[in-house]
Amino acid sequence: MTTQADTPHILRPAGEIKLETRRLALFYNEFRALKDISVAFPARRITALIGPSGCGKSSFLRCLNRMNDLIDGARVEGEVLLDGTDIYHSEIDIPLLRRRVGMVFQQPNPFPMTVYDNVAYGPRLHRAPGRADLDEIVERSLRSAALWDEVKDKLHQSALDLSGGQQQRLCIARVLAVEPEVVLMDEPCSALDPTATFRIEELMLELVERYTIVIVTHNMYQASRVSHYAGFFLMGELIEYGETVQIFESPKDRRTDDYVRGRFG
Amino acid sequence: MRRTRQAFDEQLEQLEQRLLEMGEFVEAMLEKSVRALTSHDVELAREVIAADDVADEMDISIEQQCMRLLALQQPMSRDLRTIGTVMKVISDVERIGDYSVDIGRTAIRLADTEYFKPLVDIPKMAELVRTMLRQALEALVARDLEIVFRVVELDDKVDRMWYRLQEELEHIMEQRPEVVRQAVPLLLVARYLERVADHSVNIAERVAYMETGRLETLAASHRADYQPEGNQPAERPEAKPE
Repeated sequence: MTTQADTPHILRPAGEIKLETRRLALFYNEFRALKDISVAFPARRITALIGPSGCGKSSFLRCLNRMNDLIDGARVEGEVLLDGTDIYHSEIDIPLLRRRVGMVFQQPNPFPMTVYDNVAYGPRLHRAPGRADLDEIVERSLRSAALWDEVKDKLHQSALDLSGGQQQRLCIARVLAVEPEVVLMDEPCSALDPTATFRIEELMLELVERYTIVIVTHNMYQASRVSHYAGFFLMGELIEYGETVQIFESPKDRRTDDYVRGRFG
Repeated sequence: MRRTRQAFDEQLEQLEQRLLEMGEFVEAMLEKSVRALTSHDVELAREVIAADDVADEMDISIEQQCMRLLALQQPMSRDLRTIGTVMKVISDVERIGDYSVDIGRTAIRLADTEYFKPLVDIPKMAELVRTMLRQALEALVARDLEIVFRVVELDDKVDRMWYRLQEELEHIMEQRPEVVRQAVPLLLVARYLERVADHSVNIAERVAYMETGRLETLAASHRADYQPEGNQPAERPEAKPE
């Protein structure tokens, strides 16, 4: 483990790096929402991004699969490297990128269609598999999202009839159906009760054997429970990044210390 | 959020305050036990023995408060380290109370015998050890690493006194076997005091952890590879009172 010389509180994890930003900055017109963020996410690990509201952590997450492209006036500087290739390069295939780097949102957002069609939506769009293949993909994805047993008898009912926790796992299944490499999660449990939250956290620990996960969370205890690495954002800057136990037991930066001890806000 | 944080801060402060009170209480036990020994004061010795129940109660009640804060506040960072430190430190302080009781019992046992020589080194050692305990707790409250290192330095001094006293008493016992029944208990008292010094170093090390987040063995004599100065006897089996 080494830290970068100019940013002593930003750890560079050892081992395979799946996704990495270099001097990333984000502007909304003249407003600079993110400043010079260089951080590396290790493969098949969960990294949690924490910080007070408006600190830029969700904006940062959206830079990682170019979701900010959809916002008028948004402009990105610096690099985001997925397996070493800059995703902001002009020849990047953006739909393919978003398949490789999937996103789960704060509010479960199933499409107003059946459970089956929700999961089948992505595969149909990307490569139009046959019926038997599609059945298999749907089942496998729902199993991976720990939802299969609960919905196998209502695959052709509306997804909107599921509970909030089930809807969120359905959204995760929908992401998994297109075989991503990275899963970004933007406060995936903030609309869920403790039991549903617990199931998502368990699911994350299963998924991380195959996927690289980056999660934005307001819940510090969630970050401390599930993540291997954690980064603290404040006013558009990454203040500290390190192993989760270090961030929560003995943070190096005073501001991180204040935040994890509940001294902000 | 601000109000709950303030309440938590007050509870943490109270926790340290109670630890400090326990430390002062036990330090007084230690002082009385050595005074009882030197002045053949059985009453005072009995007072020390009775005080142990109070020290034990303080230990339990502070630990309960720590557990409650861990459960209800789910502390992080510095707060977590503080509570973890208090939980460890009360065990050290409680143990020092036990050693004071042992010294008190020795005082009762030797109350009717004239000492074969005036007790000089033991009170001197006790004074040093009490200073270490007081400073270690002071360091904790003041978050002062300077004091931590002073405690560690004093421990070397106590160790040297212990080795010297051990040699001296061994020599006397060889020359005058009739004093063995007195010399052995006094040797144990010196050992108890040396152990109190070690517990004070433990406390000081916890203060360093609380401040820096790093857990380290600061005193040379507490490391596995330590060789005492000169031709001192190597590790002796530790006297296990009670």
